[in-house]
Amino acid sequence: MITSVNGAFARRFFSSVAAISLVAVSTVSVPAPAFATEELNALVWCDHTDPALVEPFEKANDVKVNLKDYEGTGAALSILEQSQPGDWDVLVIDGVDVQRAVGLDLLAEIPADTLPTADIFPEVRMEANNTKDGKTYAVTEKFGYNTISYDKTKVDPADMKDLSIIWSDKYKGRIALYDYYLPMIGLVALGLGKKTAELSDADMPAITEKLSEMKKVSKQVSDVVSSQTALATGEVDILVGGGEWITAALSGEKPNLDWTVPDQGAVRWAQSIGVMKASKKQDLALKFVQYIVSPEGQARLATSSCYWAMPANMKAGEHLTDAQKAALRWNDQAEYLKKTQLYPIPSAELDQKMQDAWTDMMQQ
Amino acid sequence: MSTITLEDTERRKAWGFVAPALLWTVAFFIVPFLFMAAMSLWSRQSGQIIRVWNLDNYFAFFEKDSLFKGLTNSLEITLIVTVLSVLLAYPLAWIIAERVPKRFQRLALIMAVLPFWTSYVVRSYSWLLVLSRNGVINQTLMTFGLISEPLEIASNRTATVIGFVHFFVMLLTLTIYANLIQLSPNYRRAAADLGANALQTFWHVILPLTLPGIMTGAFLTFVLCIGDYVTPQILGGNNELVLPQIIMLQLGRRADFPMAAALSIILMLAVTVAYVLCARWLKIERA
Amino acid sequence: MRDVLTKVASFAYAGLIYGFIFLPVAVLVLFSFQDGRLPVPPFNGFSLQWYEAVFADRKLMAALANSFVVAIVSSLIACLLGFLAAYALARYKLPGSALQRGLLIAPMTVSYLIIALGLLTVLNTFGIKLSLWTVGIGHVVINLPLCFAIIYSSMGDHHINIERAARDLGANDFKVMALVTAPMLMPSILAAFFLSVTFSWDEFIIAFLLSRFDVTLPVEIWSLLRSGLNPKTNAIGSLVFLVSVAVLAVLELTLFGKTKKS
Repeated sequence: MITSVNGAFARRFFSSVAAISLVAVSTVSVPAPAFATEELNALVWCDHTDPALVEPFEKANDVKVNLKDYEGTGAALSILEQSQPGDWDVLVIDGVDVQRAVGLDLLAEIPADTLPTADIFPEVRMEANNTKDGKTYAVTEKFGYNTISYDKTKVDPADMKDLSIIWSDKYKGRIALYDYYLPMIGLVALGLGKKTAELSDADMPAITEKLSEMKKVSKQVSDVVSSQTALATGEVDILVGGGEWITAALSGEKPNLDWTVPDQGAVRWAQSIGVMKASKKQDLALKFVQYIVSPEGQARLATSSCYWAMPANMKAGEHLTDAQKAALRWNDQAEYLKKTQLYPIPSAELDQKMQDAWTDMMQQ
Repeated sequence: MSTITLEDTERRKAWGFVAPALLWTVAFFIVPFLFMAAMSLWSRQSGQIIRVWNLDNYFAFFEKDSLFKGLTNSLEITLIVTVLSVLLAYPLAWIIAERVPKRFQRLALIMAVLPFWTSYVVRSYSWLLVLSRNGVINQTLMTFGLISEPLEIASNRTATVIGFVHFFVMLLTLTIYANLIQLSPNYRRAAADLGANALQTFWHVILPLTLPGIMTGAFLTFVLCIGDYVTPQILGGNNELVLPQIIMLQLGRRADFPMAAALSIILMLAVTVAYVLCARWLKIERA
Repeated sequence: MRDVLTKVASFAYAGLIYGFIFLPVAVLVLFSFQDGRLPVPPFNGFSLQWYEAVFADRKLMAALANSFVVAIVSSLIACLLGFLAAYALARYKLPGSALQRGLLIAPMTVSYLIIALGLLTVLNTFGIKLSLWTVGIGHVVINLPLCFAIIYSSMGDHHINIERAARDLGANDFKVMALVTAPMLMPSILAAFFLSVTFSWDEFIIAFLLSRFDVTLPVEIWSLLRSGLNPKTNAIGSLVFLVSVAVLAVLELTLFGKTKKS
């Protein structure tokens, strides 16, 4: 009697379990929406993951774009190393690291006439980085500055004109440091009167010393979002390494946030986009690149949810509102471009030393 | 003769039942671990993995302060968290077991672990909002005039410890309660008959009897705490790095799998030492 | 008098700890209704805009579904394998059974990060692409010891006679297991299942390292966090919390409430 009741219960239980697992398995095995016939895999910085940017391309080309975001070229190369050839179709990478990717034979040549080169701000075309032996491998899509962001109601804006403020103890405990060693070491180098392009082993002791002074007066070392949060919530008043990409998106809600390029200059970042050499969908990948550097794509990329920054294509201006342009400081770019220098491009050995110096600093 | 064959088929059947679980564990736990151990003996130079057996990664761990300090930071934080969590959870478990009427105990216990069902990542992030300069704690204390300057309790070790203790107080309350409730009231009566006061009873009778529960919970706390990446990454403000953060840095910044593997082995050794220290209190038993 | 004092002290202490335990949840839920972009004081007013934003977020909704599927499937596998192993080890004398038990429990004493890293190394070596499947494999690894331990510890010897009786009546092993043992152990099997669903649902580091495009909820929340401070994170966190509590309440009132009395 008891067993038969239990038996009935067990049968019901197991059949429902079986049903659930069948449903579950069938859901897993068809994850892609039925409408997309093709897929494109792109390895990108987080600003490209905004659906407002990607969806128009997906709809127009009946394709599903799979995006994976990373922070820092090392991370991107790490992901690529773990992948099989052909896994990735599009790569977004720091402009200064394009040559590294070309050296690893990762990028395909892009026919020059397929790109709107003439529309791109001349200062950020970066031929030395994006081309090799007269062949184009990538195109600049977005740029901005790693400099000093601050709350103008809490600090004296005049103090922000001098880079040495980042290691002075005037604002001790109210400074956040952006956690990416390359631009930060670049900034320190500028503060020491060195050029970012000429850094060598010999400069490291002086830089290490300043890093340690910087750490002493800082409150935290943080990634994009914690930095933004810290500044927006008043956890800190200054963010070293920040810039328009931190403050522009918040400009409506937090008008007291500001940024500047100090007299010694600041570090300029630029992202490039290219097609992976091993991609089996060269045409579609190129189409995506073309979309991203088109005026519409550029306007969406400039104001995408993860961070805002200047589009490389001048014509994007036609698709941006005046408020958006003001937040991006469209009209001040000429002056900023003149005063800023690109990221350092260290050799593998120097790169290792820089990373170690940065980790050592965090552990102090 | 026939009994032997019967035993043989029985045994074969038993192996059939246990085999899937064993195979799964071997294929997806033991083998990966061996791969990782092997990997830790390679090294990465100039962006290439050099497949020559050596102990460079382990030497580097002891030579580079930033790496070694990851372990000491991890151990310090984990020990502080474990001790604090036990000290805070024990009285709560005791109050639930002894002071709360029987029919409300289950409810009291469920309430004590309810926040466990907020997503782990969100919970850490939520602590960041609570502890920040403009967060609820600082704002409340300032409104009541208890402090004039905001307390620096976010983005540092204090914040990491608070985030961890929050989680483990919930966990430990459960394990300690489960242990307390199994004690027969007769123990206490016997101790009282022998003239022991409440404190003596607790110290000489209750505490020793609940020690296995405490140690099981403490060991779980140790394992989960020392291996966690999320809480220190969100709450610690990168003012110091714990071992899991350093492991993730090796992966994320430079694809240095061998170094990450070596650091993981070191992390595991730390857990093994803790296990050996607690081993005599840890066991699973059938009812 | 002293009794009253200890009672007051007890409840004051319990109140404080409960306050500590609920503080982050209360703040989380409160500021999910924030009218404005920053989920910190002051509270500007009540708004449901962030809940709307959550439901409009395609990626978040996909992650929610992924998490659900991974949690259910991996827990089913973990429970099934754990049950079979527990049955074999509790009912048969196998050589090296202590060693086998140790092996099955071992993953419990290893940090998730290490399990993830080991699996990642192997998957890379064999060129296996990361997906929700690989996440699921990792989740079975962490949940199998749990399921095994819970089910094994509830397999008392007093069940043996009933099983023997069933066998004498001609039932084969699978019948005995499915129709006798499993129903008798149902409370602990369900407990193991729901516990492992909870762990899988909330697990971050394995899901983070072993997934690629399709991700689970904690990983999606992590990247949401990285794209800016936002009450949307509060809203999804509160939603998950409220739904889990509702499920928990239903389970408590139906399944576990009853089994406790019997």
